[in-house]
Amino acid sequence: MKILHLYHDIMNLYGEYANVAAMQRMLEKNNVPCEIDKLSVNDNLSLMDYDFIYVGSGTESNQKYVLEHLMPYKNELKEYMEAGKMLLMTGNSFEILGNILKDAKGKAYEGLGFFDFSVKEQERIRNTADAVFTMEGQEKPLVGFINKCSTMEGIDLPLFQVKMGLGNETKGTTEGIRYKNFYGTHLTGPILIKNPYFLINLASDLCGKEMNGDYLTYEKAGYEITLRELEKRMES
Amino acid sequence: MKVLFTIIVCKVLRIIGKMIGKGSSLPGKIALKICPDILERISLPKYIIAVTGSNGKTSTVEMIAHILMANGKKVAWNKEGSNQIEGVTTLVLNSSTLTGKVKADILLIESDERFARYTFRYIKPTHYVITNLYRDQLTRNGHPEWVYNALLDSIHPETQLILNADDPMVSCFGYGKENVIWFGAGDLSTDTTEFDGVYHDGQYCPNCKKPMTYSKYHYNHIGHYECKTCGHKRNETRYTVTSADLEAGVAVINEQYEIKLALKSLYNIYNILAAFTVASLAGIEGKDIVPHINNYVLKNGRVVTFSLGNRKGTLLTSKHENSISYNQSLRIAAADKEGCDVVIIVDAVSRKYFTSDVSWLWDIDFHLLGSDNVKQIVLAGTYSNDLAVRFSYTDINADKIRILGTVEEAVNYLNNERKEKIYVITCFSDKDKFLGRVSVD
Repeated sequence: MKILHLYHDIMNLYGEYANVAAMQRMLEKNNVPCEIDKLSVNDNLSLMDYDFIYVGSGTESNQKYVLEHLMPYKNELKEYMEAGKMLLMTGNSFEILGNILKDAKGKAYEGLGFFDFSVKEQERIRNTADAVFTMEGQEKPLVGFINKCSTMEGIDLPLFQVKMGLGNETKGTTEGIRYKNFYGTHLTGPILIKNPYFLINLASDLCGKEMNGDYLTYEKAGYEITLRELEKRMES
Repeated sequence: MKVLFTIIVCKVLRIIGKMIGKGSSLPGKIALKICPDILERISLPKYIIAVTGSNGKTSTVEMIAHILMANGKKVAWNKEGSNQIEGVTTLVLNSSTLTGKVKADILLIESDERFARYTFRYIKPTHYVITNLYRDQLTRNGHPEWVYNALLDSIHPETQLILNADDPMVSCFGYGKENVIWFGAGDLSTDTTEFDGVYHDGQYCPNCKKPMTYSKYHYNHIGHYECKTCGHKRNETRYTVTSADLEAGVAVINEQYEIKLALKSLYNIYNILAAFTVASLAGIEGKDIVPHINNYVLKNGRVVTFSLGNRKGTLLTSKHENSISYNQSLRIAAADKEGCDVVIIVDAVSRKYFTSDVSWLWDIDFHLLGSDNVKQIVLAGTYSNDLAVRFSYTDINADKIRILGTVEEAVNYLNNERKEKIYVITCFSDKDKFLGRVSVD
């Protein structure tokens, strides 16, 4: 398996590097040979070489910078996605795949245009929340944290149902976007560490065989406690 | 009349608040309700010194106040650390006469970064210290660039900026200003030329996004940096730590003023340097500053020594959701040649708001505890499993680590016959859970 941690340094605001480390460990524990590349804004990309590409979250300005770097690779990334290869984008990184991004000053940036959604940022309030999301095909809900200043409109194929937290739109009940093997969500940080069951399923899909996650003892215990804390919060 | 009434209400509420052990922000909050422009209607002293930044605000302000007062200045300052507009309002009104005049030579304000733009809308600082911008409470603050933008709005054109030259983002506040006073560290024996940390916030230029180079790192992204593309680089400093020996506990400012350190950390040295800079600008000579800052033990209760059975320990208050604060404490423990056991407690992430987010654990350089000086590591609290996972991604031997679900279990376990000193690293939200079960010196 060839893994690319794309923009590993400039889109790594909340400890996202751990997502790649978690996937790497999962593959290694299951004796799947894997190779990790870390590339960023000063590198040339050859996206089709990879089996799994991950991008994390960044500041609003870094996101625009990354968009500019990725623009020449637009067709290649599209081809990658259409081929059903796995792409995980968390935090504000997946916002660049839409039609248009408007920053807080009103400046508009053309997105990669894979999806028919638009993004609007503001600079007064940081929209943050603990999150509990459910997803079709996942027995257990995902837990995590949202940290953004944008709203999105026009997503037809959301990834999650919001049980707690924030959706794509301010009062939306759905979050993220899903298309073939592309997963986009505003969940920030090491979501594959916080959600061991999701990690197992994602890695199993990636490798086309059932992965063994028995080694994830502390990950599972941590997940259960966080879910318990968040459920307590939801009830109160 | 309205001013008089507001001041009286604020003073009375503060007295009652103190009696029943309440914080200092409520009186100010009510005062602002009664008279929203009250801060504009108070006559303020000639010197208004403000301090903000991610880390070191409270300590820096305490030391500035201490030096100034020891040199005969009358200082009104927010001792309790309530640093949002309400707390600052309480401070100002409580320091005022009934006619609305602050009875002090200097008003010294610690301000929260995000709220500085509200506080300083009414109070225009004459001097404004910005210590640093780190990843701090990102579940509320977003990220350092977000905080930078919020702080920009709080700076008045006529204010004298006093900036940390070693922080590449803080330095951006000085753009287009001629008269910035810069402070920073020169060559230190602990400098590295290679970056050693799990994330690098100085990798790209905050101004143009191109890669930056560092000739030296003091810690994290604090150091001597330069962007070869746009020319953004560290400014020459007027107030400089010219040498420091952490082991001996000595730092020298401007090659002349030797200061003995009660807390042997680089972070403390920066706070001292900022305080030295402000005191100098307030007209106090270096020789009159040094005696009051030598071996100065902060009274803000961030470092607490205790006994547990036959064992001795030190609790180092470290902010959850703030990796640099944690790194500071980890470095202190890792450098203790006597040998030590380290306890990390994450039980409640914050005392002020709810979150179960533990992403910030991944930004902390826990690998520092791989030092041979650290004999055993105890992870405790609600989020001990998350800590255990984080440690499993360091090269620290798992045999060295104990994982315990509650603070109580950790205390019971530590009450053993081991000889090592105990360092407890935890936050305001959790420290009393530990200190309440041991005997505080």
